[in-house]
Amino acid sequence: MASVTYEHVTKEFGSVVAVNDLNLQIDDKEFLVFVGPSGCGKTTALRLLAGLEELTKGTIKISERVVNDVPPKDRDIAMVFQSYALYPHLSVFENLAFGLKLRKTPKAEIKRRVGDAAEILGITDYLNRKPRQLSGGQRQRVAVGRAIVREPKVFLFDEPLSNLDAKLRVAMRAELSKLHHRLQTTFIYVTHDQTEAMTMASRIAVMNNGVLLQLDTPQNLYDQPQNMFVAGFIGSPAMNFFRARLRKDGGRLLVDSGDFAVPVPAERARQFQNYVDRPVVFGVRPEDIFNPAFTPPGIHAENVEVKVDVTELMGNEIFLYLISGPNIFIARVDPRTNFHIGDTVQVAFNMDNFHLFDPETELAIR
Amino acid sequence: MRRLTRDRLTSFALITPSVVAIAVFVYGFIAFNGYSSLARWDSLLPDFTFVGLRNFQKLFTLARFQIDVRNMLTFIGLFIPACLAIGFVLAVLLDQRVKGEGLFRSIFLLPMAISAIVTGVVWRWLMSPGTAETGSYGINLLLEQIGAGFLKSGWYTDPQFGIKAVVIAAAWQMSGYTMAMYLAGLRGIPEELREAARIDGASELQIYRHVVLPLLRPITFSAAIILGQIALNIFALVVAMTGPGPGFSTDVPALFMFDTTFRGGNFAMGAAIATIMLLLVMGLVVPYLIHTFRSEVQV
Repeated sequence: MASVTYEHVTKEFGSVVAVNDLNLQIDDKEFLVFVGPSGCGKTTALRLLAGLEELTKGTIKISERVVNDVPPKDRDIAMVFQSYALYPHLSVFENLAFGLKLRKTPKAEIKRRVGDAAEILGITDYLNRKPRQLSGGQRQRVAVGRAIVREPKVFLFDEPLSNLDAKLRVAMRAELSKLHHRLQTTFIYVTHDQTEAMTMASRIAVMNNGVLLQLDTPQNLYDQPQNMFVAGFIGSPAMNFFRARLRKDGGRLLVDSGDFAVPVPAERARQFQNYVDRPVVFGVRPEDIFNPAFTPPGIHAENVEVKVDVTELMGNEIFLYLISGPNIFIARVDPRTNFHIGDTVQVAFNMDNFHLFDPETELAIR
Repeated sequence: MRRLTRDRLTSFALITPSVVAIAVFVYGFIAFNGYSSLARWDSLLPDFTFVGLRNFQKLFTLARFQIDVRNMLTFIGLFIPACLAIGFVLAVLLDQRVKGEGLFRSIFLLPMAISAIVTGVVWRWLMSPGTAETGSYGINLLLEQIGAGFLKSGWYTDPQFGIKAVVIAAAWQMSGYTMAMYLAGLRGIPEELREAARIDGASELQIYRHVVLPLLRPITFSAAIILGQIALNIFALVVAMTGPGPGFSTDVPALFMFDTTFRGGNFAMGAAIATIMLLLVMGLVVPYLIHTFRSEVQV
C-alpha cells in the first residue's frame, strides 16, 4: 500500500537513452499499466523501480521514501517476471516460501500465508510439485503467488501474460483484475498489448522511445489521444489516418483528403480555425465508419464513396478494407452488410468522433 | 525395399570397423586382462595355469598395495574437492563479466592442455626442497622471500606430506577444467532467477547458496565423476614428479601395476591390480552413465 513517484527519471545504457526524463505519480491502490512497443523503455522503468537497474538521473520514491540507493529486497515490492523465474529445484510450496524463509518468518506464519495465497490462486493441489511438472498457466499462478505471500506495498508485473496462449491470457486478465480488487494494493504492470492495458488499468502510461507520451485513464486515452502515436497504438484495429487539408467552403469547414471531402460539424469547427488551408492528418477509428444502411441515429454521418478491397467476417461484425485514392483503411461495420470485393460503395464517417493532428508535431489539434 | 537393404548394408559397413576394433582392443583386452589375473603367469613366460583368486588374496596382503589404496583415498579426498572449489571460484569470478574474460579463460584452461609429464617435471622443480648447501628452490624460496618461511616444506620428499604434493600439481592442472564446466553452468542460469531471488530478499551469498549451487548440482556431479576417474587412473604425473616416493608415500596403484608387470615381470599380479582399478572406475562411472541415460530418456 503505497504511492510511487518518478521524478525526472533518466536511464542510459551507454549512449542509448532507455528512459528519458520520466515524471509520473502513481497513487496508492492504483493499477497502472506501462504500455508501448518493444524497446520503448517500459520494462526499464519497471526495473528501475524494482531496483534491478540503477538510475542515471532523477529520483524514485515509494510512499514518501526515496529508494534510489535502497537494494531491491528492502523496497517492499514483489515482482512477477515474464518467464515466471520460478526456482526449478524447489517445490511450489518452497518457491512461495522462499522469500519468507529468508526473512526468518516463523514456520506457522509461512504455512498460513502460503496456504492463503495458494487458496486464492487455486494451486493448493500442486504445492508439492516442481515447477517443471506444471503447465504454463499454473506456473504463472505460482509466480503471482510468490509475490502475494510477501504482502508487499507494490506489485510489479513484467509482461506476465505474454507466454500464455490467447485463451488463458484472457482468463488471467480477469483474474488479475479481481486480485487487484481483492488485495487493494498498488499494481504496476508492463505490457506491449494495448488490450491488456485497456482492460485492466485504472490509468495507462503510453511510452515510446523512452518518453512518456500520455498518462490517462483508458477511456480518455481512447477518446482523446494527445498525439498520433497514442491514437494509433490504443484501439484495435488501429485508427485510420489520412493526409488532408482543411478548407473553407462557404460557411462550412471541410476536411479534404483529395479523394473525399467531409464537413466538420459547426460546433467543432471553431477549434480548428488556425489550421484552415493548412495540411492536417485526419484520424478516424474503424468503429466510427458505418455502412450507411445501419448508421446509428443522432450522429453527424457523412457519406464517402470508396472501393471495397477485402471483407473479413468476424461473426459479430465485418472488417472492411477500403480504398480511397492512395489510402487503404479499415471499417468495422454491421455484420448484415453485404459488400463484395471490388464494389464501389458508400460508407458513412461519424463526424462527431474524428481526430485532427498536426502533421509536423503529430500532436492532436485541440 | 532393395534401396533400404543397400542403405542398411552401407551403414553396417561403416560401423563394422570400429565395432571390431573396440571389441578386440577394448573389451578383448579387458577380458584377456581378467583372464591373466586368474592365472599363475608370474614371470616373463606366459603361464595360463588357472589359480583362481590367489593373486588377489596375495595382493591384499602386500604392504605396498595397502599404502597405495590409502594414498589413493587421500588423493581422491583432496583432489576432487580442491578442483571443484577452485574451479567454482574461478568460474564465479569470470562470470562477473570481467574485461579480458576470454584471455583469463584460456589461461585457466591451459594447464589441462599440457602433458602430465611436463606438469610433473615442472612441479618437481617447483617443489624441490633444496639442501643446506644450495639454499631453497622454487616454492620454498618464494615462501622465504615473502616472509612465510615457516610454511616451507619438504613437499614430496617428506613422507608425511607425500601424495598431497601430487594433489597440488594435479589440482593446478585440472581446476581450469572444472572452471569451464561451472562457467558454462553459470551462464545457463537465467538472470531473471537471480533477480527474482534478489527481490525475494536474498543477499548475493544467499543467491549462490540457495539458487545457484543447487542448480549447478548436476555439473558438480559430472565433474566429480570425471575427476574421480582421473584420480583413480593417475599415473604419468606421479611418474614424472615423484615416482613411488620415500616409503611409497607418493605411490599409487597404477604405478604399482606398472612396476609389478613391466619391471617385476609378474604379469598375473599386474593384471590383478589392473582389474581392481577397472572395477573401481566402473563402480564410479557405470551408475553415472545409467543415471545420465535415464534422465535423457525422461527429457
